Amino acid sequence: MADEFKVDLSLDLRGLACPLPVVRVGKSIKDVPVGGIVEAIATDPGALADFPAWAKTTGHEILKTERNGADIKFYIRRVK
Amino acid sequence: MKGELKEWQEKLLGVMKGRRNRQLLYYLELCTRCGLCKDACHIYRATGRVEFVPSHRAEILRRLYRRYFSPLGRLIPSLYEARELDERALEDLYEAAYTCTGCRRCMVYCPFGIDITWLLGVEKAMLVAAGKVPEELAMLTDAAIEKGNSIDLYRDLLQEQIKGLEPELRERTGMPGASIPIGRKGARVLYVALAGAHSILPAAIIFNLAGEDWTLSMFESSNYGYFLGDTEKAARVAERIVSEAKALGVEEVVITECGHAYRVMKHLDEVWSKQKFPFRVSSIFEPFARYLKEGRIKVDPDRIAERVTYHDPCQLGRNGGIFEEPRAIIRAIARDFREMNPNREKNWCCGGGGGLVAQPDLEEFRAVTGRLKAEQIAATGAKIVATPCENCRLQLDLLNQRYHLGIQVSAVTDLLVQAAVVEKGQKKAAALG
Ligand code: SF4
Ligand code: SF4
Repeated sequence: MADEFKVDLSLDLRGLACPLPVVRVGKSIKDVPVGGIVEAIATDPGALADFPAWAKTTGHEILKTERNGADIKFYIRRVK
Repeated sequence: MKGELKEWQEKLLGVMKGRRNRQLLYYLELCTRCGLCKDACHIYRATGRVEFVPSHRAEILRRLYRRYFSPLGRLIPSLYEARELDERALEDLYEAAYTCTGCRRCMVYCPFGIDITWLLGVEKAMLVAAGKVPEELAMLTDAAIEKGNSIDLYRDLLQEQIKGLEPELRERTGMPGASIPIGRKGARVLYVALAGAHSILPAAIIFNLAGEDWTLSMFESSNYGYFLGDTEKAARVAERIVSEAKALGVEEVVITECGHAYRVMKHLDEVWSKQKFPFRVSSIFEPFARYLKEGRIKVDPDRIAERVTYHDPCQLGRNGGIFEEPRAIIRAIARDFREMNPNREKNWCCGGGGGLVAQPDLEEFRAVTGRLKAEQIAATGAKIVATPCENCRLQLDLLNQRYHLGIQVSAVTDLLVQAAVVEKGQKKAAALG
């Protein structure tokens, strides 16, 4: 399904302890150009609310959220 | 003098003035520079840098205070070691305030009981006003507040995801009716976990085995506003849980294995938010130790064969007062338990507190300043280090790698689950892994 987007960076955040998933995304998004897309896979149930809340406060955009069993995949566009 | 001040300086000095009370004056004036605190600090001991002497971390504040609030310092700054509030001073304040883990070991050794972290709280409040704060801590705090504001958007998704953990819960408890209720009105206990399944499932196993009347919080217990030193935002993060607990009408709010989260809810938030909670706040070990004592959960003391030691998280132990309950649990489930030396209120900080683990740029600093903790662990000969704090566990994992300790770092609840016996032919609650 990732074919929909041209992913610039993939992050595997599965099993990472709090607060590292959000910290890693926050840091890594600076490694793609503005407009670029980060794909992040997390397993924390809390990520479902934490990632959109992070995107809203930092101004980045979650393009899509996919769920596959325990895996939650976010496609995030760097906006600024 | 006031007329010469720029707007941002006025603002920061206003913050200092707002915090000017007897405690501030007492701490600033009483320090004799005896230096007893320096050897109590793991950061100074590992680096030998004078900037990291605990009393020195507050020295900038003391000098700024003299410069702007004491008559003689205002008159003859050079004679009274007074210091100008300029960009350099802000840099120094930043380094002093945001590289301290807030462990408060220095206070235990200070003959006057000076709480350096309280003074650093004033420094942090000034830095917050200046907008000069660690980016990650600000980001995590803002996201937590936003999550509270928009939780209705995510409630169903979250519930569904947590329901997804129940098949494993039933498998491990052997209880077909085991569940993870969320937002259940009238439950006796509200359990506040961290965002990960690793903090939800093991506790759910114990609550179900003990037959507890419980429900899971929609929110994570961690509060990065506290590390940031922004008490207004920290109170907003905590308020998410307080409002939820009030709406559900619970008797007891049980905080997961997270040192600062316990301290915030148990000892700080009622002061910040000027309210009295209509519920009791407990660390997860209080009900768990009770279940063991009352025979509501049974354990096999032979399942954990290797030597276990226990690391007291600073915010739960020294600063939170929880020492014995986790030890009672470990003693019940591990025959070979060895204390670290020193322990309890004199335990060495692991180096991960204060929000330092959330700042990737400080990883090397944490590895270096964790040396004393690594030595302390190695001296016990333990293969398992149990510690009830996510920040500590992340830090101990780092120390394990860097100092080749060959240990397994574990949450206490995970060990309890490993040792829990499921009765009447039900399956064993096997170790989580
Ligand atoms: S031990 Fe107390 S009095 Fe002595 S230098 Fe440290 S803070 Fe000051
Ligand atoms: S609180 Fe801990 S880290 Fe901070 S100065 Fe005191 S001993 Fe050092």
